[in-house]
Amino acid sequence: MVAPGALRVVRCGGSALGGARAVFSADSKQVGYLLFASGDFVKVYSVSTEETLLLMGGHAGLVTGIQLNPHNHMQLYSSSLDGTIKLWDFMDGIPIKTFTVGSKLLALYAVASAEDSVFVVIPKKGERDTFQLVSVKLTKGAGQDLEGKELSVVLDGVGASMKHIAFGREGAYVVSVKDVNLQVYFFKQKLLNRFSLNTMKTKGGDNRFSCVMCHPTEDCIATGHADGKIRLWRNFHHRKEYTYSTLHWHHDIVMDLAFSLEGTRLLSGGVESVLVQWHNESSCQKDFLPRLGSPIEYISMSSDGSLCCTLHEDNRITIINSNLRFSRSIQGLIKSKDVKTGLVVDPRTKALVLNGEPGHLQFYSTQTDQQLFSLDIVQRQHVHQAGLKQLDLVKVAFGAQGTWLATVEESEEVTDPELQLKLWFYNEETQSFKLNTRVNTPHDSHITDMCFRDVDELGEDSLILVTTGRDCVFKVWVMVEDTDPEAQQSVSWSCDFVGSYHNYQATNCCFSEDGSLLAVSFEGTVTVWDSLTWDLKCTFCHPPGNIRNICFGRLTCSKYLVGATDYGFLCCWNLLTCALEWSAHLNVVVLQPDPLSEHIAAVSWLSKKSSLFVFKPSEPRPIYIQRNLCKEKILLAAFVPRDEPEVISSEKHLWLRKSQPFFLTDTQELMTLSTKSLEERLTPSSKQLAVEESLPVTPFSVLLGKHRRQQAQEDTDLGKPLVHSKQEQASPAVRELLHTPAHVLPSASFLCTIFINSLLISKENKSAEEVADEVEMESEKAEDDSDEEDVTAMEQEDTSHMEFLGEMTCKLSKSQEKELRKIRKMDYSWIAAF
Amino acid sequence: GRVLCLSWHPSGTHIVAGSIDFFRVIDVTSGQTVQRIMVNHHVEKAKRECVVWAITFLSSGTVVSADSFGRVQFWDWEQGTLAESHTVSTSAMLSLAVSEKEDSIIVGTSTGATYQLQLLPVKQGGQEKRWVRTKPFQFHSHDVRAVAHSPTALISGGLDAQLVIRPLMEKMQKKGYDAVLRKFTFPHRRLVSCARKARLLLFQFSQYLELWRLGSTEETGKDGEVLSLCRMPEHLVQLKSKGPEHIYCSCVSPCGTWVGYSTASRFHLYRVRCDGDSVSLRKVPKVPKLLPPAYQLQFSADSDSLFVASARGSVHVFQLLEPGGCKHLHTLRPPSGCSEAVYLLAPSADGHWLAAVSGDWAIHIYNLKCFKHHCVVPTYNCAVSALAIHPSTNNLVIAYSDQQLLEFSIPEKQYTSWSRAVQSRGLHRAWLERDSPITHITFNPKNPSHILLHDTYLLCVLDKSLPLPDDSTLLMNQSTLKQLPEMARKRQLHAFKICKKFQPLLFMDLLDENCLVVVERPIMDFKTQLPLPVQQKKFGT
Repeated sequence: MVAPGALRVVRCGGSALGGARAVFSADSKQVGYLLFASGDFVKVYSVSTEETLLLMGGHAGLVTGIQLNPHNHMQLYSSSLDGTIKLWDFMDGIPIKTFTVGSKLLALYAVASAEDSVFVVIPKKGERDTFQLVSVKLTKGAGQDLEGKELSVVLDGVGASMKHIAFGREGAYVVSVKDVNLQVYFFKQKLLNRFSLNTMKTKGGDNRFSCVMCHPTEDCIATGHADGKIRLWRNFHHRKEYTYSTLHWHHDIVMDLAFSLEGTRLLSGGVESVLVQWHNESSCQKDFLPRLGSPIEYISMSSDGSLCCTLHEDNRITIINSNLRFSRSIQGLIKSKDVKTGLVVDPRTKALVLNGEPGHLQFYSTQTDQQLFSLDIVQRQHVHQAGLKQLDLVKVAFGAQGTWLATVEESEEVTDPELQLKLWFYNEETQSFKLNTRVNTPHDSHITDMCFRDVDELGEDSLILVTTGRDCVFKVWVMVEDTDPEAQQSVSWSCDFVGSYHNYQATNCCFSEDGSLLAVSFEGTVTVWDSLTWDLKCTFCHPPGNIRNICFGRLTCSKYLVGATDYGFLCCWNLLTCALEWSAHLNVVVLQPDPLSEHIAAVSWLSKKSSLFVFKPSEPRPIYIQRNLCKEKILLAAFVPRDEPEVISSEKHLWLRKSQPFFLTDTQELMTLSTKSLEERLTPSSKQLAVEESLPVTPFSVLLGKHRRQQAQEDTDLGKPLVHSKQEQASPAVRELLHTPAHVLPSASFLCTIFINSLLISKENKSAEEVADEVEMESEKAEDDSDEEDVTAMEQEDTSHMEFLGEMTCKLSKSQEKELRKIRKMDYSWIAAF
Repeated sequence: GRVLCLSWHPSGTHIVAGSIDFFRVIDVTSGQTVQRIMVNHHVEKAKRECVVWAITFLSSGTVVSADSFGRVQFWDWEQGTLAESHTVSTSAMLSLAVSEKEDSIIVGTSTGATYQLQLLPVKQGGQEKRWVRTKPFQFHSHDVRAVAHSPTALISGGLDAQLVIRPLMEKMQKKGYDAVLRKFTFPHRRLVSCARKARLLLFQFSQYLELWRLGSTEETGKDGEVLSLCRMPEHLVQLKSKGPEHIYCSCVSPCGTWVGYSTASRFHLYRVRCDGDSVSLRKVPKVPKLLPPAYQLQFSADSDSLFVASARGSVHVFQLLEPGGCKHLHTLRPPSGCSEAVYLLAPSADGHWLAAVSGDWAIHIYNLKCFKHHCVVPTYNCAVSALAIHPSTNNLVIAYSDQQLLEFSIPEKQYTSWSRAVQSRGLHRAWLERDSPITHITFNPKNPSHILLHDTYLLCVLDKSLPLPDDSTLLMNQSTLKQLPEMARKRQLHAFKICKKFQPLLFMDLLDENCLVVVERPIMDFKTQLPLPVQQKKFGT
């Protein structure tokens, strides 16, 4: 638990999934789990409902390997860079044991034939960039924390990635590949065979190994290579008479391979984003699953062979059927090559908007950790190949409560970039953005910043877009009526004003809250312009250094202009006096104003740590400081307005009330600050579901049992609080019903009684016969009511306590009356007995 | 149906014959078909017919068929069941060969690719073995019509006129001549013969012969100059062989009046008469029937007799009679007997000696005056690629396929001292590492110490009077020698004078003291005549 008053830094999305292959749970039930490493966590995901069930945290470093316990399929081993192996019960999400190995663990392998040991890859002591495969004896002992120090080296000079080692059928041998060398170690014979390929890159070939996989039933090794070839090695018991055949389809490096359960099919994937299925090791028979969106990083196969999943470079997981049909995809924050657009909040959906797939804009919901949708901006086919200069999205801005969207795309060429400014209008009917205006080459050089003048009072006509460019000008774009009767749209955008200042490059622009002033920074100078006449009003300068960020204060602080410079100064100018109000020495990387309050967040990067400062422009003293926010460099920040102002107890954290800050690091991890503890944050329903599914009994028996317990505890008071608590009890039950996949539900007749029981009000002292009669009598009505209650319960999930209560009382009056009447009748006799 | 291929069972009891859509197994003793297996039985709606292009009977009773669908299939012929089927390629399989141990198969396809299939254990120590397609090779541009599997190499020959020997590295014990990929475009045989006195050249093609008269010039010039001809080369006659058989060997007599050739079944002799511009060709009647026909033909230096190399190590001697006849004079046989045929002949210029090389690499020397066996050159463990008898010294110069050169004195029946010196010192390493064997040896009558040799890529004048080069010196030093001053040049001189100007070199002979004829056959000449290769998409599926 976190001490009250302290803010917790929460990683809430975008963690790299690239640590390890995903693992399917090996239960015979149709409901499967998919487990994958996500940053420091292991996520448990239900394959059928596409929901994240559990987040297993406990490692202090990146999780590098996860493997099911071969002797107990309900348990999972995970290894991490923090040097520990953890054994989890992934049904409950509880760590069973922790084995401390000591050195960094780079990969983990669990083999059924190894009785009580697992294999890990660790760096070799005393040598840099040399790794060895060791087996760790997992001592059986009481207690949670155990030492795993009994190491024995199996192979030396192995690759650091988990893809570079594979275990053969029944754990008889282990293969490791590195560069152009392949080594096979046979455990029983204690025989080590080494093979190497030609290092020469003849005919465009590149023989370096990229991954290795073993046939599940035969002595056959499949290796992927940097030039896209797949080699199938056989007869590798002989040092000389080994042989291999080659399959070649991929044009670039083969990222991962997987064999089917019987080994008759081989799956391969690479940068082409195509999953290739090879039949019978023949190069003539192959199937393809193309257009998977982004390069494939890992392929894993479920133990029964019915599903496979691919982990992609952009943190997406695709689940694929055995007949090579796309089944589902799990996508959180899509990792793009470079977030050039910044972190923008869509005013309409409150989603974070940033670069997604190449050329796309992703709308990411922070609440559900899901991508809402992806908007194709560039509208060109993206070719996954290194060295190609392609158009990419670099700037994005929303205007007029999200009805207008401006995007800038440019080619990756440094000199003479191909530039396009696009303006999109939100179409209410299709619920998506429609291209309105396209401006080719809006500036002669790169566009550095873009913003809308967004003022509610002035109406839509006042909507102005300002772009600044490295061609030393800023341009003002306005909407004009389209005079052409043929035109499909009534308005389009055109340039209205071009401003410049001493031929300096324009770097940033910003409108004041009321829209009357525009601040444009030209290298080291901030210029303030009147937005009506486009006159230069005044200039501010704080040498040395160029202006990195500028923003106007809001609400009570709207007379201030805040700027951050390259040389580590944060300056605040008073617009009324045209003088520097205060300045502070701070290396500000990100300057982000909260749109709903006067607070401004500044993130600094100092001595390899990011620190957060929240201040009001009116006061030079920050109201909140969080040093060591994280070890990664924070590149972007955004304030997402809350739907409801949060109740915050601490005076210090009042700035979190209206909106929630999000930070994006250079590893594209999304972080936020939370006043709540970890336990509170996790939704109780998902937690419960996981618990109950792991039990042999049905969820309903549990539900029933719990309900009865509850009844026993309840006292005779039948007032409003009781009703409320009833409802609270019912709602998870209902949710459970809705969340459980239909095919595992018991018959409706069985459900019915439980359902009704759960909805009935306790009848402690009634005789059993009476209750039974009444239940039957009331059954129909109760069912109707329950439906009604479901809906309300669902709706009210997020509303506050008070509202919930008020509404429920009037809704339930009918059934309530009946119950009350009944019980009143009973009560008299009962009291009389005393 | 049409039979396209057949194979014997190693025990000799059955024959399997491949046809279109099926193959048959025939019992040898009864001559009856005992099994008939449809090869495309399980292919649904097979519109195209499936041609079994190659078939092999393994000793285990498995029949391996290669068909036009690109499949290699393994059948149990007694049950008539398909054991394994490998779709090796999308193009047709044309040829198939199995190794002696029956653990490896090579197949050739119509796209020029060859594939190896190996019988490998499924699990280590397990009994179960399975055929697995392992290595693909792409050495040919056209159909691979024939393949062979030696214990250490895969050999394939295709329509693109190439023979490729790809060694199996895993079977090689050490690096050496055998452990390198070899490609041959020209046969290591003499395809051109020259009538020195008449200045005629006879070219042997697969179905016909061409006789050409060489042009001549009266000018002289410096090195590198092209002299103008006073007489143009002239195509005298084309002699077409009858029937489908290929010409096996041919020869023109030194006087240019006799032309002989032999096919696989018949031997023909023609009389050529040149009267001014008109050329007449008349078949010599009543040529003695030879069974089997000639493996090599050679006229004597005085054009009086013809030597015909034949089977079992025998050489027939014919006497040529004017105006056009011939008579069987004698048959020379090795005294110990020999099972192999003679494939190289070398008569001496004085008509006294004849050297004959048979397939067991033994060189027999016969005395032609008394038709007696003279002696045997000590046998060396390599094939003889060329030999010739020196016109003045009667020394036999022998070139072996491993590039060794030996000189054997026929009168003294022993190696000459120069030959011993060469053996003790060893030849230059660059010489020994050459790819193609010496195919022809001739001598300079003006300078008896000069021996002229050539292979497909170089022409060499071997000067016995000069010191042999050692490994530290440059073997091909002609261009560097040219730049050196006179004195230094003398010091650098060594026995091998090599010219690589003419490639590929088919034939070279000295016409007279200052005239050398060289026949080049540019590879592009016949590459352009090849049919278009099978188009293959490199990308896309």
